[in-house]
Amino acid sequence: MQAATRREQKEVTRGRLVNAAMTLFARKGIVNTTTADVAKSVRMSHGVIFLHFPTRDDLVVAVIDDFGARLSAEFRRAFEQDLGLRSVLKAHLRVLQEFEPFYARLVAEAPMLPPKVRSTLMLLHAAVSYELFTALERERKAGRARKIERPLLFNTWIGLVHHYVVNRDLFAAGNSVIAEQGETLVNHFMTLIKP
Amino acid sequence: MAEKCPACGSCGMPMEKPEDFALGDVTRPYCRHCTDARGELLPFDQVLATNARFYVESQGVTPAAADKMARAMLADMPAWRGRH
Repeated sequence: MQAATRREQKEVTRGRLVNAAMTLFARKGIVNTTTADVAKSVRMSHGVIFLHFPTRDDLVVAVIDDFGARLSAEFRRAFEQDLGLRSVLKAHLRVLQEFEPFYARLVAEAPMLPPKVRSTLMLLHAAVSYELFTALERERKAGRARKIERPLLFNTWIGLVHHYVVNRDLFAAGNSVIAEQGETLVNHFMTLIKP
Repeated sequence: MAEKCPACGSCGMPMEKPEDFALGDVTRPYCRHCTDARGELLPFDQVLATNARFYVESQGVTPAAADKMARAMLADMPAWRGRH
């Protein structure tokens, strides 16, 4: 019983650290945020972080993994309902909007991040690429889409989305560029795939 | 925090369904892509090549970039940690 409580407490602390890191990464940038900043923001000693995350990179990866888990859940829902490409695009944007301030930093800083962190993002992108391509192929078999190579399908979509997300201050009057421009991007992309 | 499923101890792939696990056995620590027909872990070079190809096919990056990223990803996985 005590062990279970300790485990639960450990999970709670880990969750607080991941959430605090995500908030700070969004505000200050990933490169500019130190583990000491994260510890200070949750009023914990600096050493506590390393009980949960052996390195700073592990903390960044944990934040990306959290985002990835949400994305998987949304894709699974869209897939189980056998919805089309439009639904997959919307599911992707729904999760991006949830994590938008952090995601904007992640994308803008990606070339400066260590390979371990960058490869975690690439793994996420590979999953998105798979979902888009699977949905496109279904549309194609139904005569609603043309053939597009998988990397270009993904890169066209992600290039479009990332341009708006990274420059969100230019494309949105409010807080979320996905909320303001997401539907336009989905509609535009759906016209690009038509036969 | 989002709910997480188990991840492959070799490549990190989320294992959501029984068929994602080696031999469809949810108690196995590795995914079907990282294991052979008997459920044994494949050699490192083979797992590395599969992962690098995954990056190339999904995003069109160069084979050299894919190899570098795949190595970085595998380096910290339980199956390969401390290998180098």
